Amino acid sequence: MSKTSLRTSPAEGGLGDEPLLAVEDLHVEFATRAGVVRAVNGVSYSLNPGETLAVLGESGSGKSVTAQAIMGILDMPPARIPKGEIRFRGTDLLKLSDEARTQVRGQRIAMIFQDALSALNPVFTVGWQISEMFRVHRGMSKRDAMAKAVELMDRVRIPAAKQRVHDFPHQFSGGMRQRIMIAMSIALDPEVLIADEPTTALDVTVQAQIMELLAELQRESNMGLILITHDLGVVADVADKIAVMYAGRIVENAPVYDIYRAPAHPYTKGLLESIPRVDLKGQELYAIKGLPPNLLDMPTGCAFHPRCPYRQDNCVTDAPPLYGISGARNSACHYWREVLDGDPR
Amino acid sequence: MGRYIIRRLIQAVPVLLGATLFIFAIVFALPGDPIAALAGEKRQDPNIVAIIRDQYHLNDPLLLQYWYYISGIIFRGDFGKTFAGVPVTQLLAGKLQVTLNLALVALVLEAIIGVVLGLWAALRRGRATDTAILASTLLLISIPTLVSGFVLQLWLGVWLKQVTGTEIFPIAGATQGIKSYLLPGFVLAGVSIAYLTRLTRTSLVETLRSDYIRTATAKGLSRRRVIGRHGLRNALIPLVTYLGADLGNLMGGAVITETIFNLPGIGNQLYQGVYLREQPIVVGIVTILVLVYIVANLAVDLMYAVLDPRIRYE
Repeated sequence: MSKTSLRTSPAEGGLGDEPLLAVEDLHVEFATRAGVVRAVNGVSYSLNPGETLAVLGESGSGKSVTAQAIMGILDMPPARIPKGEIRFRGTDLLKLSDEARTQVRGQRIAMIFQDALSALNPVFTVGWQISEMFRVHRGMSKRDAMAKAVELMDRVRIPAAKQRVHDFPHQFSGGMRQRIMIAMSIALDPEVLIADEPTTALDVTVQAQIMELLAELQRESNMGLILITHDLGVVADVADKIAVMYAGRIVENAPVYDIYRAPAHPYTKGLLESIPRVDLKGQELYAIKGLPPNLLDMPTGCAFHPRCPYRQDNCVTDAPPLYGISGARNSACHYWREVLDGDPR
Repeated sequence: MGRYIIRRLIQAVPVLLGATLFIFAIVFALPGDPIAALAGEKRQDPNIVAIIRDQYHLNDPLLLQYWYYISGIIFRGDFGKTFAGVPVTQLLAGKLQVTLNLALVALVLEAIIGVVLGLWAALRRGRATDTAILASTLLLISIPTLVSGFVLQLWLGVWLKQVTGTEIFPIAGATQGIKSYLLPGFVLAGVSIAYLTRLTRTSLVETLRSDYIRTATAKGLSRRRVIGRHGLRNALIPLVTYLGADLGNLMGGAVITETIFNLPGIGNQLYQGVYLREQPIVVGIVTILVLVYIVANLAVDLMYAVLDPRIRYE
């Protein structure tokens, strides 16, 4: 029952109910000198128009790799996708030709990155970089494309856009750079926008402005937004649903409200408890004990068992499937009921 | 920018003075008597020798001699005369042109071959082409100019002429326009080509790993555009530095190549100047080379600001 509950299968609702984007049992592995790293191990999630999916997890949990697989910007080799589907409006992107894939990338599915300074090309003006989308994909003249770039910079609220369009990325502040990145990504009205930790490199006040901007752009255009982050504070405000990843798998996914009210996986619970709280000022911050697993040498059974306070003997031997809890909610924990109910410690 | 250029030119003054004084002192310290060398085996009249020595200030202390020399350049644009009485400027004018031609042909060959091979290797990284290119650069670096010069002279100059019946690569002299410079230019550029190939390869490989290349790919641009526009523009920046600095090296390295291919350039002249203890010739040539270095380096730094908008001088 686990995976099928994530999507509406054609049998249940017909093709009309196919989500905008559906990742299905995706596996990604990297060939390295030390062996094969299984970075993504059967991830499934789906996204509808106007919906925001937050993908949570530590570094190395596979959240960015999944996103890069959707975009088709993984370096293959060393990366390999041995199994899985990425369906965009019903078409499996992994089966498309390179050329057809390029038509989707940037135009219908766009992405913004964490560090806008290194993600923008240092030797071209921001106007050049934004307008490139119109010149290359829409065949516009330089002048028209540049006018569009100014329009977009206005839309993401960069002050004095007309004057600043000829500036270089390093001449902007961090927040402004991320706005430029956003302007570039929404240039051709994509249906899906993937934001890979868009606010991590920014000041807290600027973070809020950027999230607000993304939410507003999403409302205007009804695009689906995948927000990759490890910041639970950001998630609560904007996400509709959450997928929590650990060691290349989804360990819990649920509507945002459910997760904040009562997590159904010990890892999610640990994440929530490690948020600093004003009412606990002075007490030691909670941290999940131990370290994320080495992807080359994964623990047996449940990958989280060495760090898990709910661990029982079978956790060491049996990898839990994604148990259906209710409706759109799943947890990859044998003891999700105990986790939902309360605290073993 | 203007102020920056002026500051750099002012900085060049002590460099020039230091370099000329240094070379002047070295030639001063060389054993042997230049005036005696003038007459060869013949016996010289001591009075005449004394007059010539006095005329060329050879009896004065080093610093005074240097002052006579450098003040002549600064106040009268006079680079001095050879002991045979020919003004150094006149002697070097035509020869400088030959060496400059040679160095420029070498630089162009270096830039074209080095960059093309380097890009090719970078785009085929880890495959047979890459390995073959890297191996051949190693070979190129290991062969001294003396060997490659004579071997190519024999193969491409003599044998190829015998086989085809026409002279494609002249092997000596500078009488056939740019054709005369192709073979010596390639020999002179040899080692630099190898270094530039490796530098280009590394630079492009590094660039293609950067985040903005990932962004360019995510924009849905073709691979050709990602590499050709976004990658190349960044990868070329360090190459400009190398090429600029190498112009000076090539002019200095011309000594051997000019001798092998019998080109009447300043390299050849420098050799004779040292041999005959002709101080004005040696110091004059070195001054020219130092000037070339300084101007080339300044040009590189200014190019840098054009190529990389993050760099601004002021």
